[in-house]
Amino acid sequence: MIHLKKDETKAMVAVHGWSGILLGLLLYAVVLTGTAAVFAHEIGAWSAGHVTTTSAFEKPIDATIRRLSAMTPARYREAVNLFEIGDHGLGVFFHRHELDANGTPTESGIYYQLDNSGRINRTLRGTAEEVFGPRNDDALSSFLVDTHVRLHVPNPWGLLLTGILGLAMLVAAISGLLIHRHLFKDIFTLRRRASPVLIDRDKHSVAGTWSLPFAFILAFTGSFFSFFGTIGVPVVAMAAFSGDVEALSEAVFGNPGTPDPRPVAIGNLDRITSDAIRRTGEAPTFIAIEKFGRADAEITSFHNPKASDIEPVALLYNGATATFERAKPTVGTRTSAGGTLAGIMGPLHFGNFAGLLSKAIWFGLGFAMCYVTFTGMRLWVVRRKDEARSLAWLERTLTVVGFGLPFGLVASAAAFLVTMPLGLAVYWTTAAFLIASGAAIFTGFFARSNDGLTQMLTGATGAVMIALPLLRIFAASGPGWTDAIAVGQPIIAALDIAFAAAGIWLVRGCWTAARSSTRSTSNIPVAAEA
Amino acid sequence: MTTLYLALAALVFSAIAIVVLCVGDPKRLRAVGGRDGGMASGQRRLLIAVACIPGFICVLLGDAAAFLIWLGGCALIGWALATYFSVLSKTEN
Repeated sequence: MIHLKKDETKAMVAVHGWSGILLGLLLYAVVLTGTAAVFAHEIGAWSAGHVTTTSAFEKPIDATIRRLSAMTPARYREAVNLFEIGDHGLGVFFHRHELDANGTPTESGIYYQLDNSGRINRTLRGTAEEVFGPRNDDALSSFLVDTHVRLHVPNPWGLLLTGILGLAMLVAAISGLLIHRHLFKDIFTLRRRASPVLIDRDKHSVAGTWSLPFAFILAFTGSFFSFFGTIGVPVVAMAAFSGDVEALSEAVFGNPGTPDPRPVAIGNLDRITSDAIRRTGEAPTFIAIEKFGRADAEITSFHNPKASDIEPVALLYNGATATFERAKPTVGTRTSAGGTLAGIMGPLHFGNFAGLLSKAIWFGLGFAMCYVTFTGMRLWVVRRKDEARSLAWLERTLTVVGFGLPFGLVASAAAFLVTMPLGLAVYWTTAAFLIASGAAIFTGFFARSNDGLTQMLTGATGAVMIALPLLRIFAASGPGWTDAIAVGQPIIAALDIAFAAAGIWLVRGCWTAARSSTRSTSNIPVAAEA
Repeated sequence: MTTLYLALAALVFSAIAIVVLCVGDPKRLRAVGGRDGGMASGQRRLLIAVACIPGFICVLLGDAAAFLIWLGGCALIGWALATYFSVLSKTEN
């Protein structure tokens, strides 16, 4: 592999260790929630008992949008965003583009939340930041995604923080590659009979080596998303558009053409959705209507990547005539390498380019990243444990975060299932996470040993996981397995089985560890007598 | 569906090569106290090339999705095998 001089290797080891230990705990939280968020859509369907399998865009929407348009004040009919919410319901956001008090571009308007039969469930007025928040039926998946994206820190600081964490992961991956002299020779070596340092080192380096390409991909794409809006767009706007972000957005993502503000009724949206489905083979994920009600109206239909591809598809339609114009690149008006690169960032990060199989593999790789982060921090502590006894607190902190965070997440899922029928899920999903995290920290203070603490947290996590399917069926009145499979939602049964199996495995492991530690403790007096 | 079948076929093919690589890995065998020296380095290189063939086929067919599934899947299979054989050696001892 790459051979560095001794002092260079030493410097790289320091960079690798410190980049991990300074930000490792936060990075672990981001990666763990990101791993779970790979299945955010499926977790949403599982937790809220979604049984509809037909997309909102596969049903007629034209009459609904015309009805909502007639109800909406003219000032908010500049543009409309359409997207799916809940159990294949429809979210419709009539809005106009404006600047907020700080001069930052924003969208202000009326957000209609419709159920899957087209009835309005809720109407919200305000800016995009005000109206788009977690709902009672998606509080759990929103909580996971929000923790992953910005650790619940207000924007732009949360995004900047997760962007920096992504960079730290990138630094750790590159320095790890440079310092590992026997990358391929050690790729299957996990010693069991060696010092704790060597055992931890093997665990860290084997998992790290196998998942190295994905550490780069996930860290780079994650940082891209965090820094795109917070740093990239303002900097480019300042450099090339005198700070005008709207002008930048129009130049990069807009559709050049001669403005024609004559009032013309919007074209048939059902014709557009059926044409888009015919061209791409699947329903849109998002539809954006710009210049609504004008002769120059434009409608863009966004889709997941086509089979065998990883670049999402966008189709542009003439809004007034509902006729297809062209496939729209992610950036600019013509296909370019930069545009393609920007387009594949999402699928590369989320793993949503080939259905459940690609998601399952990305979930596994996310888990490997968690494992590498956690074992890396453990290795750092174990190596220095004998030199500095004061590091015992850090080891304890690692255990509290490493095993307390999964406990907090499953506790928030349990709270969601209990409180969703009461309409209190938005509050209690977060509150339960904080309570469970507090309990893990409290236990961390008073636990006699690190191993005992690990067993307690693992056992508690397993017990809650076993309870989740029962809570879903009995507390949240979710569909049973036969009903879910009958309506084409086998993912509900699959997640029940996954939670129960993982829970049993954790409780069993905890039970075995507790028994063996009791046995070894009871053997001490016998050995002493002998 | 073609992507799915291609990715699965590629994964199965590479998994076989990875299993053979893991079983005959000299350093792993030394770590578990095996007397057998393991596979020669020429054989190992050949097996690595064989394991990579399905990935190249995915690239040649222009199936980016199948390639990524294959790459990620191989990483998980390799890690799982290393862990499995380590646990197995502990149980045997």
